[in-house]
Amino acid sequence: MKTNNIAFAFFCALVTAIMAFPLLGLKMVSEGTGMIIQGATASTWIYIASACMMVFLVQLFKTSLNSGVEQFKVQLSRLPTPSLPADQHVRLEKWALILIIGLALAWPFMTSRSSIDLATLVLIYVMLGLGLNIVVGLAGLLDLGYVAFYAVGAYSYALLNNYYGLSFWICLPIAGLLAATFGFLLGFPVLRLRGDYLAIVTLGFGEIIRIFLNNLTTLTGGPNGIPGIPKPTLPMIQTDPEFALISLDFSRSSREEGVVPFHTFFGLDYNPETKVVFLYLLALAMCLAIIFVIRRLIRMPVGRAWEALREDEIACRSLGLNRTAIKLSAFTLGASFAGFAGCFFAARQSFISPESFTFIESAIILAIVVLGGMGSQLGVILAAIVMIVLPELAREFQEYRMLMFGLLIVLIMIWRPQGLLPMQRPHLAIKEAEHA
Amino acid sequence: MLESLLYFIQQLINGLTLGSAYALIAIGYTMVYGIIGMINFAHGEIYMIGTYVAFLAITAMGMLGIEYLPVVFLFALLSSILVSSAFGWSLERIAYRPLRGSNRLIPLISAIGMSIFLQNYVRLGQGSRDVALPSVLTGGWTFGPDDGFQASLSYMQLLIFIVTFISMSLLTSFISRSRTGRACRAVAQDMKMANLLGIDTNRIISLTFVIGAALAAVAGVLLGMQYGVANPFIGFIAGLKAFTAAVLGGIGSIPGAMLGALILGIAESMTAAYFSSEYKDVVSFGLLVLILLFRPTGLLGKPEVEKI
Amino acid sequence: MPKTISRKLLISSAIALALSGTAQAETLKIAIAGPVTGDVAQYGDMQVIGAQMAVEQINKAGGDLTLEAKVFDDACDPKQAVAVANMIVNEGYQYVVGHLCSSSTQPATDIYEDEGILAVTPASTSPEITKRDLKMIFRTIGLDSFQGPTAGRYIADTIKPKMVAVIHDKQQYGEGIATAVKSTLESKGIKVAMFEGISKGDKDFSALIAKMQKAGVDFVYYGGYHPELGLILRQSFDKGFKVKFMGPEGVGNKDISTIAGEASEGLLVTLPPAFDTRPENKALVDAFKAKKQDASGAFVMTSYAAVQVIADAVKGAGTQDPMKVQSYLRANTFKTPMGTIGFDAKGDLSSFDFEIYTWHADGTKTAVQ
Repeated sequence: MKTNNIAFAFFCALVTAIMAFPLLGLKMVSEGTGMIIQGATASTWIYIASACMMVFLVQLFKTSLNSGVEQFKVQLSRLPTPSLPADQHVRLEKWALILIIGLALAWPFMTSRSSIDLATLVLIYVMLGLGLNIVVGLAGLLDLGYVAFYAVGAYSYALLNNYYGLSFWICLPIAGLLAATFGFLLGFPVLRLRGDYLAIVTLGFGEIIRIFLNNLTTLTGGPNGIPGIPKPTLPMIQTDPEFALISLDFSRSSREEGVVPFHTFFGLDYNPETKVVFLYLLALAMCLAIIFVIRRLIRMPVGRAWEALREDEIACRSLGLNRTAIKLSAFTLGASFAGFAGCFFAARQSFISPESFTFIESAIILAIVVLGGMGSQLGVILAAIVMIVLPELAREFQEYRMLMFGLLIVLIMIWRPQGLLPMQRPHLAIKEAEHA
Repeated sequence: MLESLLYFIQQLINGLTLGSAYALIAIGYTMVYGIIGMINFAHGEIYMIGTYVAFLAITAMGMLGIEYLPVVFLFALLSSILVSSAFGWSLERIAYRPLRGSNRLIPLISAIGMSIFLQNYVRLGQGSRDVALPSVLTGGWTFGPDDGFQASLSYMQLLIFIVTFISMSLLTSFISRSRTGRACRAVAQDMKMANLLGIDTNRIISLTFVIGAALAAVAGVLLGMQYGVANPFIGFIAGLKAFTAAVLGGIGSIPGAMLGALILGIAESMTAAYFSSEYKDVVSFGLLVLILLFRPTGLLGKPEVEKI
Repeated sequence: MPKTISRKLLISSAIALALSGTAQAETLKIAIAGPVTGDVAQYGDMQVIGAQMAVEQINKAGGDLTLEAKVFDDACDPKQAVAVANMIVNEGYQYVVGHLCSSSTQPATDIYEDEGILAVTPASTSPEITKRDLKMIFRTIGLDSFQGPTAGRYIADTIKPKMVAVIHDKQQYGEGIATAVKSTLESKGIKVAMFEGISKGDKDFSALIAKMQKAGVDFVYYGGYHPELGLILRQSFDKGFKVKFMGPEGVGNKDISTIAGEASEGLLVTLPPAFDTRPENKALVDAFKAKKQDASGAFVMTSYAAVQVIADAVKGAGTQDPMKVQSYLRANTFKTPMGTIGFDAKGDLSSFDFEIYTWHADGTKTAVQ
């Protein structure tokens, strides 16, 4: 056993060396018109050697390390852990949600401008995550092209504003509706596909939408995108000099008629930060509305049906549930939330172009849903914070930041494969016999 | 008349080459899927690493003054396979093995994380600049009148096509004939049962990843020599196309991956030829949707039996 | 919001300092915003080394003003560019060198304009950026709308081809130039037989090449960057499709000869003047060499100049107030490694000439008369 262990540890160290040596130790640089190979600096070699050494040692003493970890786990489990009955869990989640909302409301008044802006970005991803959560987490349909609906929402606002001058508040429902229509049209033919086949078709659909946006230059501006998308305004009733419905905007001075700057209306000094705070609060309000709608939905028959379908499709059909209608409803609703998020994104960004809607965006949203614990709303919120804030925190590491981001995703998945906060709902379960 | 025919033949050759390129990557993709049923999104990254190692090897040979083509090619192939296999093996052990048995979306996210990690690993080691390699194997045949349009087929195109075909046949017979291949199929069907029957499932799965990575390395060497350019981000698009091809042919089926890839290649090439390059991805994805609508499990995929 | 207050205090004290004329050493904080990660990081590197060299050199030369630069990574992603812009506002920077990609510069400059931050982009060439009546946005690089017509006129007047294909990479930069070339050619009565986009990152162009071959194209203009054109050249050469090719400065990079080999011989390129080969910049180029950096990158000298004009204008205006500095920038000319430059009302360079070069297989180039 011992020699076996040494041999395996040696093998692992060798593999590490093979992985590190050519790619880190040798570097191709161009010289003239050809390429030559340069060796790395001495410190790189030391790093590679110590990495191999470390792998060797860890593998060699893996059994004792593992037993140490096990012991620690046993010690931990001896501590009295509060085991909550299921319904208390739900209550706990409710309180946690209320706490988060309270914190979110107080956030803009506690922190700086860039933190508020970052939080706004997080909220956009929360909206997207919640929408995709319906499709993937609740209905169990793997959708890799969710970004398409996000794009539809963003371009609806940008185009309608550009060509017809419609305001954010008119475009918001239209964007949701259009995205839902797209969801419905896509969902109709593809829902009879299962699992990975559905995944690739949705992925293809996402790419097709992006390519069209990029190619239809005369309509969408193609790769140039659409600049100058206005920020949302705040509708307000004016009583002086006459009774009228006006819009308040947050710029220093406004040029349009019927639009009054926020600070002149309230007689305040101009503060550029109010604009950021308003965007944040708007995003928060949209998020809360979506959370509320979904919380109601999953308690309704349709929500129950989504989950039933995810668990066992055949059982559902034998119970007389209409499979197509249920799947379509999940797809369409999920898409409409992406449409709202897209509309808001266009307003926050003031400029959109097809490059904001690539596959990697879909992957990040999916990662948020899975990372959070599929189906769990609190989980999605937490995961959105993790996924968006992590790369920002990693800015200190400069060029290493994406490397660490990738590694952290893997580590979190290994650490908690069920997600950060898996979904809990009242249910009955047969108690398994406890381990001795 | 002759000109249109030659043009069509030329575009067919172009499509077949492009398809073979996709097929080389798709075969590894589909094999991993067929055996453990997970989409290995980091497969494209392994291909990218294979290309980089091949470039390093060929450049190193050039600096040593060795120019005899078979030696250069073999050296590039072997070193690339070695390094890629090491990556494939570690990838499975680090990112997928601890997740075995959990919901099938979990390894997918882990794979996306790994893919971001590997891209940046190579970027840090080799820089984000495109590296280039001069043509190693040049020349070919041309057909057609001297004064009109000529169709051509280069040696490199032929080599890619042949290697892809050989890899596919070898792999298919390995899976269907050999003892280890039978063990692979057993693991694919029922992992627990295979384990009970004395098959070392961990070893089989490791082996699957190593073979998949080796195939990606072969693709990396050949396509690296054909196109001569690489950067740390080429794996993503290549992986996406290969994935599409694999699904088109019926994911899990090795001849299916080849067929799907060839159809995809020809469709792209014909769209560029008779319509516009701008819409070739739209056509290939549209075709995928269309085929899946009529054959929901791909061209050569086994129809799923609903278990009750 | 204590941060805002402190920032305002800082600004006002800075202004007060400047007004009272105390000649103490001041610190001028400059944010360098561009891609450090992501697939265009190679261009971001050029920007960063150019700007940092300028900071170093100006500080070494002494004077009242000490420059301090910090790099912000936007990964060339518009979404991150907005986040970075807000971060720059937050950290109290009043001067920005950046961003690099036009699609990042566009949303970020909206914020800078609002907040009264002065931004000089050394790399974004889209005409859209300065079309929006912005006061605070300048650039030290030529526009796509200058370069396209230069190339188009040369093709129409000197080469006089019969059948032209204009190909681009469907990106803002490539398609912008390609469109400008196309309209110039058409206004001169040259027929553009094909106008087609390819996908960035594609490797196989044989279908497109066969199509051009069949259409009898005898001149190809490509709008985009070197990796794709290099492959098109190489594959065209292998297929026996040997016509003249032309491209913008994005392809004028030594790497194109590495990729295309002998196929790159005779390629026509419109380039900004090669600042790094000018004799007056020799000391500067040597300074880059001493740090093992490459001074020949397209955005190195423009980034250097961007930092320099900010520093000079702050010195000249005698204040760090961006409003005053921007009017000083518009009213004066500045001596930089790019030569003596000035800005027009829109914030673009008052003149920026592109020259036409013939590229050679060994990576060198010669000017075309």
